[in-house]
Amino acid sequence: MTISNKTKAFLGSSIVPLLLVIVWQYVASSGYVASFILPSPNQIIKTFVTNFVEKEYALHIAASLKRVLIGFLIGTVSGFSFGLLMGLSRTAEKIFGPFFNVIRQVPIIGFIPLIIMWFGVTELPRIIIITVAAFYPVTLNTFAGIRNVPKEYFELSSVYGYKGLKLIRRIVIPAALPSITTGITLALGMSWAMLMAAELFIQTYFGIGTRIQLGRDKFNMALVIVGIITVGALGFFMTTIVEQLAKALDRGKIIRKET
Amino acid sequence: MSLKFLQRFNVKDRLLGLIVPLFVLALWQGAVSQHLFSELLLVPPLTLWNTIIELFRSGDLISNIQVSLNRVFLGFLLGGSAGFILGVGMGLSPVINRALGPLVKVLQQVPELAWMPMIILLFGIDEFARIFFIAIGAFYPMIFNTYQGVSGVPEKYHELARVFDYKSFRYLSKVIIPSALPSIITGIRLSIGLSWMFLVGAELFGTESGVGFLMIMGRQMFQIDVVMAGLVVIGTLGLIINTLLKKFEQFVLRGRVSFDGGAA
Repeated sequence: MTISNKTKAFLGSSIVPLLLVIVWQYVASSGYVASFILPSPNQIIKTFVTNFVEKEYALHIAASLKRVLIGFLIGTVSGFSFGLLMGLSRTAEKIFGPFFNVIRQVPIIGFIPLIIMWFGVTELPRIIIITVAAFYPVTLNTFAGIRNVPKEYFELSSVYGYKGLKLIRRIVIPAALPSITTGITLALGMSWAMLMAAELFIQTYFGIGTRIQLGRDKFNMALVIVGIITVGALGFFMTTIVEQLAKALDRGKIIRKET
Repeated sequence: MSLKFLQRFNVKDRLLGLIVPLFVLALWQGAVSQHLFSELLLVPPLTLWNTIIELFRSGDLISNIQVSLNRVFLGFLLGGSAGFILGVGMGLSPVINRALGPLVKVLQQVPELAWMPMIILLFGIDEFARIFFIAIGAFYPMIFNTYQGVSGVPEKYHELARVFDYKSFRYLSKVIIPSALPSIITGIRLSIGLSWMFLVGAELFGTESGVGFLMIMGRQMFQIDVVMAGLVVIGTLGLIINTLLKKFEQFVLRGRVSFDGGAA
């Protein structure tokens, strides 16, 4: 047992990607396939480096991040408030729930032609799409989280005389927190996915989606692939950060409960 | 105790649910009558309704819906079956899981829509590109749920299968699939739901038929009623598909709880 299981697992999981890259490099350099269809890994790395050396690429990334951040924040805050309202009041649920559920069935992408007609090819429809994408999961998970708060907590809080805002802040939100953070993590993923829809369908000068689209228009596959990698990597980093934050929040809550 | 939206409300509660739609309708009609927005941007609800009826009568809607449903079906078939096969493989064999699992997880980080320009470069904007794109959307929920179900088959069942000497096909059809069924069905439901979502995306990239095409045309000709009609149709079909799939799920998994209890 000289090789630990972890190393073994790592080696095992890297075999297929490695093989793929080798076959890819071989096919691309053999000249069977035109390089604009299948650029070699080498070419992609070069494109990657030149892209990141350029200052412009940073501007594209910044534009995308800003868009997502704005939409994500608005969607999360409004989704949280809406979920809180429906979770706390059965009447509110009965009034808004059915309508919300019907609207939710419409694929978000389907709204794009309509909101372009309403607001033109501007930043607003892009933000709206991202906001809606974040709104749904936060609403649903906040609602579900509140409804799953054990009855005993409410009984206990009435013993303590907690009411109104104090009840929400001390009991409801802490108890529903894991579900809410799940919703927020999902919301980030959804916003990031819909950012692509926003940038590909609503033309813009700046954004990672724009770069990918540019690669397609110029028949430059390397550019497309670099864009795809950028989107994937950024999405991964952001989700990881939010997940860690969520974990930290939940952990803090558990400790407080014990003391 | 399951906590779901739309629990069985009584009549009074159902009426409460009508408040918002009616309010929106009234607001909409009011805005139109007050000429707050140009007719180009907001048509009266009645006009929208007439447009939908008109599109239905002329057969435009039906034929385009057929094209769209066909695409969703083919895309789901392609992506769903690929996800199912790989999911079963990964669930049964740790080697396959180690080889493919991380790769799939990495690929999953890329938003599906980002693939579309690449697909178009490879295949051109044709039918295959659209179906391939939908297949990508259908693939992920299927592979993850199938994997979860198959890898979660209790060790007892594997042992039992060994005792009965069940091999290959029989092993799959008698032990693995039935035991993993709840997860697989969930995968199918999510997979078809996402296929519907990505159908719209695929069609907005440019097509000459389908519900998405109706909306693109409506936008280009500045017929907002056609665009809204398309939206209503997409939403309604999505709702119907989702409801049917939920019913299907309940039907297939009926009596599951007692079955599991009996086996344990």
